Amino acid sequence: MSTAMNFGTKSFRPRAPDKGSFPLDHFGECKTFKEIYMRCLRNNRFDNSRCREESKEYLECRMDRQLMAKEPLEKLGFKDLVDDTQKENEDKS
Amino acid sequence: MILTYLLRGCSSKYGQVALSSTRFCNNCCSFRGVATSRSHVFLRRIPQRFLNPSRGAKTNRRKQSQEDDWKKRNKTVLTYIAAAGVGMIGMSYASVPLYRLYCQATGLGGAAVAGHDTEQVETMKPIRDRVIKVTFNADTHASMQWNFRPQQSEIYLVPGETALAFYRAKNPTDKPVIGISTYNVVPFDAGQYFNKIQCFCFEEQRLNPHEEVDMPVFFYIDPEFDDDPRMARVDTITLSYTFFEAKEGQRLPIPGYS
Repeated sequence: MSTAMNFGTKSFRPRAPDKGSFPLDHFGECKTFKEIYMRCLRNNRFDNSRCREESKEYLECRMDRQLMAKEPLEKLGFKDLVDDTQKENEDKS
Repeated sequence: MILTYLLRGCSSKYGQVALSSTRFCNNCCSFRGVATSRSHVFLRRIPQRFLNPSRGAKTNRRKQSQEDDWKKRNKTVLTYIAAAGVGMIGMSYASVPLYRLYCQATGLGGAAVAGHDTEQVETMKPIRDRVIKVTFNADTHASMQWNFRPQQSEIYLVPGETALAFYRAKNPTDKPVIGISTYNVVPFDAGQYFNKIQCFCFEEQRLNPHEEVDMPVFFYIDPEFDDDPRMARVDTITLSYTFFEAKEGQRLPIPGYS
């Protein structure tokens, strides 16, 4: 792709990730959460919108174990889930 | 009547008339000093250059000023050409930051677009009616001995929704191996909408002997994907990672203009 002399065509430019790189989970501390998430995906025919709760939990696990920089969940795109849980808590109380 | 003849003969400048009137004015015109003999005709034939030295100085001066003009003109032309040459060299040096600005402003060539906002993740709304399938691919370099593969073959998502995907890597050798990866998105044009929040690429990842890890990729597709007419027919995006072996102490630059 990049070796062809096509000056007019666009080539792909990789971009660095926004928040950098995940540190490796050498000890498998969040493996259970990952397994839950993968099972959810397989059950729902790999539909992401059904398994967002599980992905949120996996990221929370990472943040708790210092495997990811702590960030408010809204910044990671889980605003709707956070609002839902807040509403639930308010309803309960 | 004789007087007119005389006058005509004496006042003429040209030899021919003088010749014709010599017969009449031979005696009477000589007192005026006008040479009526043949010597006068002879004199007339000498080129004017030698007779009148003052006339030569004027042409010399004119020629000198002409040469000066030419010299001045040449000098100005040379100055202009030299200025143009220096200007070209300066332009070629200035073109690097200028092109960078242009690319950032227009986003041509898939370069990093300025204004790609991390705040956007918070406020973006998922577009529910546009389902996109993201397939995952994993490759290793020929000399890289890791077993590297995706844990799911595809995920269905919509633009504006963050998603999590996993890859698995295993080091089957008895020595620790450091790998570094890069990624690719096909189709290329969709690559500018494919934003990774966090992943495992472009940094060295070290795997101990016989160790197996899960590597997550947290990404989303920009909601503007739906507005782009060129992306109207795109339903499948393929994310492909390739792992290479990194040498000890080697530092690779992060891509993009940083």
